[in-house]
Amino acid sequence: MKHIGVLSLVLTVATAAVCAEEYGPARGQIDPASCEESDNDWAENALARSLSSPLGLPLVPHPPDNPPTIEKIELGRKLFFDRRLSINKTMSCAMCHVPEQGFANWELRTSVGVEGRSVKRNAPTLVNVGYMEVLFHDGRDLALETQFVAPMVARNEMANPSVGTVVAFLKTQPEYRALFDATFDAPPSLDRIGMALAAYQRSLVSGNSDFDRWYYGGDSASMTPAQQRGFSVFTGKADCASCHLIDEDAALFTDQLFHDTGYGWTREQDRQNPPSTTRVQAAPGVYFDVPAAMVASVSGPREADLGRYEVTEDPADRWKIRTPSLRNVAMTRPYMHDGGLTTLQEVVEFYNDGGSGHARQDPRIRPLGLNPGEIADLVAFLQGLTGSSLNCLAAEARSAPPDNH
Amino acid sequence: MKRREFTGLAAAALAMGGLPLRGFADETCQSPYMPMITGHEEYIYVWTLGVEGMGDEQDKLVTVDVRPGSDTRGEVINSVSVGGRNEAHHGGFSADRRYFWAGGLDTNRIFIFDVHSDPSNPTLHKVIDTFVKDSGGVVGPHTFFALPGRMLITGLSNDDDHGGRTALVEYNDDGDFVATHWMPTEADMQGAVAVDGAVADGYGYDIRALIRKNIMLTSSFTGWSNYMMDFGQMLGDPEAMKRFGNTIVQWDLHTRQPRKVFNVPGAPLEIRFPWGANANYAFSTTALTSKLWLIYEDDTGEWQAKDVGDIGNPADVPLPVDISIAADDQTLWVNTFMDGMTRLFDVSDPHNPRMVYEKVIDRQVNMVSQSWDGERVYFTSSLLANWDKKGDDNAQYLKAYTWNGSELIDDFEIDFNALKLGRAHIMRFGSAALYA
Repeated sequence: MKHIGVLSLVLTVATAAVCAEEYGPARGQIDPASCEESDNDWAENALARSLSSPLGLPLVPHPPDNPPTIEKIELGRKLFFDRRLSINKTMSCAMCHVPEQGFANWELRTSVGVEGRSVKRNAPTLVNVGYMEVLFHDGRDLALETQFVAPMVARNEMANPSVGTVVAFLKTQPEYRALFDATFDAPPSLDRIGMALAAYQRSLVSGNSDFDRWYYGGDSASMTPAQQRGFSVFTGKADCASCHLIDEDAALFTDQLFHDTGYGWTREQDRQNPPSTTRVQAAPGVYFDVPAAMVASVSGPREADLGRYEVTEDPADRWKIRTPSLRNVAMTRPYMHDGGLTTLQEVVEFYNDGGSGHARQDPRIRPLGLNPGEIADLVAFLQGLTGSSLNCLAAEARSAPPDNH
Repeated sequence: MKRREFTGLAAAALAMGGLPLRGFADETCQSPYMPMITGHEEYIYVWTLGVEGMGDEQDKLVTVDVRPGSDTRGEVINSVSVGGRNEAHHGGFSADRRYFWAGGLDTNRIFIFDVHSDPSNPTLHKVIDTFVKDSGGVVGPHTFFALPGRMLITGLSNDDDHGGRTALVEYNDDGDFVATHWMPTEADMQGAVAVDGAVADGYGYDIRALIRKNIMLTSSFTGWSNYMMDFGQMLGDPEAMKRFGNTIVQWDLHTRQPRKVFNVPGAPLEIRFPWGANANYAFSTTALTSKLWLIYEDDTGEWQAKDVGDIGNPADVPLPVDISIAADDQTLWVNTFMDGMTRLFDVSDPHNPRMVYEKVIDRQVNMVSQSWDGERVYFTSSLLANWDKKGDDNAQYLKAYTWNGSELIDDFEIDFNALKLGRAHIMRFGSAALYA
């Protein structure tokens, strides 16, 4: 088994600045090969990481009834990448949460599930997901131990007829029976699948960013002057930090709450009033404006997205979305809950414009009056939030090929 | 070469060598290693996508009788369902033409049908359901190109990210895995050279070969995420629209070594070599930019690629799909999906193709196959399950025409929706005479 170190300091990835000429495979993907070799087994390193706190992050909170072990992490990784755990054996968790793309998907705005069925939301990164108190963009689950059930049975994701069939499948596999025995001294079960998947995902921790070394580590050179100015904008004039929290000892860059930024409302207006043409890139530098009727002729229905309301059915929650962490944001494009914005520049400009301005929008979303220099500084700051271990997380993820037919 | 001369050559070769006749094929677009139907095709096999809520909902191989004088001519006479919806797409005969291999772009299953025991009623002989595992992560078995004793299969995607990086995968005729040949990428050119500003994207689609020149060409489409997703959703997703191939790769046929990567922007799809003894070129079309491309050997013996004309108005995004070159190399049928049209190009001067005929087949059209003599032309409708038009525009059919040299004349039509069969995709011809 390949040994992978957790202490690699060099992250040989490009920033997420989107090259205007990008075409074909997404550029600047995280390179697992750049992770420094280690004398330890990869799962030993993953366990150590999930029990420690990298610079800028607190300890990962583990439920008392599911402490991490090497065996759980190894089993969880195997389950996470097993394409056989979908109805037609084509989709694993990793097909939407791609390790080399920050455990997100850079190549799609919104995810595509079994038989190509449309998902209305962007696949969120799973890096640092162990810190999240509410899961999914709308917070519809509260624990990694139970979260996996929804995508496994969602008709437009993995489409299993029931989670029971997944358990039953695992019980038929000698390899899995042995692993569950070794991990839990018990056969595969729904609870144990959740415990293993949660343990693996809680090992996906990445801190020690340029920002962390500057803010928490006292390294004045680790952030450029532009990034430092951007920090001032972030915490001052733009007030991003009122939702994307930075605490004294650590920063998750999220308040774990739900807000109506005006974005969801805007997207619903777009859905109800589609533009007369859609600008489509046909090749590098070649664009066509395709008439709406032509697009409609090959389009299935698009669902409305009411955000948190879909969980609570409280009208006050319409278009509210969980505040995402901004850690590794430069490595998790495209942005917003539906991937509708491609670059960090576009995101900052959306907020600088004050959202949509509709009646129920969070009052903190207002025209910010940032000048182009401040916008550039803010983007530079966000690019300084990339953790130092993404390459090793990807290398661990690829420590064995996925299970396939 | 004129059609009359070529037909004579084929007849002479047949008289000398008997079957199997290497170097020729029917449908004019298949592997030149396999035997040809020298008379009238008797059956059309249509690899058909199952549709939720329609019939048995499964993918199936549908057999249509086209025997002259048959009481059931123009009718579906048999159908074999394979279980599930696999994104049935393309298929090809083995080099001995006794088996038809058909792929599922979604589930990666490969269905091998026995078409020789009873050509009127193919049966499912074997299913390969280990394609991804065998190949080391290739997803989306697409073109099935027969080599003697082997089947060379292009992939469209991979199991790392469902993007477009992919490979050629080789099996033997027994269905046993032989080798995987990954497409060259910018990071790993494998000894190939990129020319004309090409960036090796590692994507795949079609494969065709010119044996006497030891030339193999592959084209480039897009990965699972795109070919499986709702077409309209994709058009509105600028991230997804960046993930199309822009390259055609020239390979050494025998060593499977990539040699040169050409810059062919806008998703080059089908590749067709002509049949003439001195015809050292191939055609391809780009789906998104609606161009006809010529890949040709120049006077110095180097292979080149150039755009030789538009197909319709590219700004209207007509979306060229299947193409079919005539056996005499003089004409090329080109279908465009969005406007449901077929166009005939005079390619007697391959560097200066000229459109000479056009006809709307239906609200959508994808595949085109022509008989060896060029007198019968068949069309089917489906592009991909989630790319086909919606509602009333979702016509699903096999339509047969005769070509009299100046126009297509209606022969018969089978409505795949009305018969609750599904989405009609690739057509291949069968005949009992091959096995007499």
